[in-house]
Amino acid sequence: MDLAAMLADVRRGMIPAHVYADPEVFALERDRLFARSWVFLAHESEIPDPGDYVVRRVLADSFIVARDESGTVRVMFNMCLHRGMQVCRAEMGNASHFRCPYHAWTYRNDGRLAGLPFHAEAYGGEDGFARAGQALLPAPSMDSYNGLIFISLDPDAPPLRDYLGDFAFYLDLYTKQSPAGVELRGPQRWRVNANWKIGAENFAGDSYHTPHTHASVVDIGLFREPKASKRKEGALYVAGPGAGTTYKLPPGGDFADQLRYVGYCGEMIPAMTQMWSGQQRALVADSGFMVSAATLFPNLSFVHNWPQIDASGKVAPFISLRQWQPVSERETEVLSWFAVDAAAPPQFKRDSYKAYLMCFGTSGMFEQDDVENWVSITEMAAGSMARRLKLNSRMGLTSAGQPIKPPMPATAFAGPGVAYQGFGEFNQRHWLRLWSDHLERAPAAAVPADIGPAGMGPVVSQNAVSRGAAR
Amino acid sequence: MTAARPLPYADPAHLAAHQFLVEEAALLDAGDYEGWLGLLTDDIRYLMPVRVTTARGAGFDTLADMGHFDEDMYALRKRVQRLATDHAWTEDPPSRTRHFVTNVRTFRNAADALLVESALLMFRSRGDTREADLLSAGRADLLRETGDGLRLARREISVDESVLRTQNLAVFL
Repeated sequence: MDLAAMLADVRRGMIPAHVYADPEVFALERDRLFARSWVFLAHESEIPDPGDYVVRRVLADSFIVARDESGTVRVMFNMCLHRGMQVCRAEMGNASHFRCPYHAWTYRNDGRLAGLPFHAEAYGGEDGFARAGQALLPAPSMDSYNGLIFISLDPDAPPLRDYLGDFAFYLDLYTKQSPAGVELRGPQRWRVNANWKIGAENFAGDSYHTPHTHASVVDIGLFREPKASKRKEGALYVAGPGAGTTYKLPPGGDFADQLRYVGYCGEMIPAMTQMWSGQQRALVADSGFMVSAATLFPNLSFVHNWPQIDASGKVAPFISLRQWQPVSERETEVLSWFAVDAAAPPQFKRDSYKAYLMCFGTSGMFEQDDVENWVSITEMAAGSMARRLKLNSRMGLTSAGQPIKPPMPATAFAGPGVAYQGFGEFNQRHWLRLWSDHLERAPAAAVPADIGPAGMGPVVSQNAVSRGAAR
Repeated sequence: MTAARPLPYADPAHLAAHQFLVEEAALLDAGDYEGWLGLLTDDIRYLMPVRVTTARGAGFDTLADMGHFDEDMYALRKRVQRLATDHAWTEDPPSRTRHFVTNVRTFRNAADALLVESALLMFRSRGDTREADLLSAGRADLLRETGDGLRLARREISVDESVLRTQNLAVFL
């Protein structure tokens, strides 16, 4: 594979089709992208109490995300320090300790090694194996924002907030609607025979697919919005490592009117008014745009839509977070969470949950048709002919590479970053540029850790997140 | 919630419940979703909670607040209407499905209702290049006697995988 030529093609908006089913490309993604980038693991609301844990992966690496007895969140590589067994084989629960089934090495829920059988008889005590200070390997870097817990396998990763940059502005709209913050439910998990990049790109900016792929949900009157005439009025934005789509709201409403239009109830509007900055409110009230789908590079996506959830035409908005977890170049595990403001009234939560289930997730009527497309693309990309085909990803550009229309001024789109109104593949190209940048960098340095020789310093995690620090 | 013992297999109520499930499966495999809706009561609850992998002592293996389905008649009707449009791409061409229904146990729940537990294996084949999918699940159904015969008033599907190996649930279980 000629990596330089492939990336040059991608950067001019011509995508060699094989990248969606190529094991060599996948190995580079594993070694150069997922070994460095910030990757989402869990939300603090999934582990509210001391001892609560979930087990999540970054590709093949399993991590325990646990809240320890002091309320601090820890992320630990789920491999016993002794013989390498997976220490915790459940995906969620509550535990003060994790005990390896193989030889009963036991770890506290902050990762510290609490005991190993026959320490004196088997090892001669501390001299043969220095138990003190040993702990499950911490994630090399860990950080959180609005309760969203991310890790990076790169110990020198930049602070998460620096990484998020201008995308934090948009992230807040999904995850900071009241002082209580968002709560996540789920995830629904399923495996699809599709390359992980396709979903990430789609959510980043593909408003062009909505009128056709999702025509059926308009046919049945579930959704007022995806008609082509509506979708092309929306704005696409690129901000930091993220990008997303918006819908144009009906003209004339103030902030509260627009929130009510998409189905937020009166009880929630004061908190949203309080939590969002003037600029965030202006995006809705003055510019008239409401966020819809988005992707935070590399593989965390968001969606916010507002279907009609009963025969009376009641509209309810929902938020979903979803992760495209790569399994191989041809298979992805999708994790899809329902997210809702933790302080929302119970009836709103019920309505929003219903809206989510009808639209997204394993059974969602939008998602069903998306995945059909992505599986098909992956199948087609796996053969020889796909190596001859460079897919055109230049929508919105002239032959000279200039935008066919200027970016929106701040007076028309109040959010940060660069925004264009109408259809275009600006966002997907942005995502692919970040992808290309990772693929041509050497892998991040990894420091091997010897376990247990006498005199070795402790490896206890320094990168924990205390309760509330994320808010 | 169930009576201690299932009805004898020769009990007419059990035979009627078993026949109901087999006839329902025939409608689903034939793609007759309008016909299938006709087997449901207007107050149907159609649930499929997310199963999770937990320690034996955890006391739960199902998420209480998250499902793959949590449907009323409005939601099910929308799904059926969607499949009937010309734009439901994921089922056009349609899957070939076979609902295998077995291990049927019937319990008398009330004078006019039966609780019926069954095992379901659904085979789903799409196209000509992909591996077929299997979904295995237990089902707990509430069948109500109506003037038109038995109708399904509630179904809770307990799927046997925590991570589904099918591209979506554009199918009914």
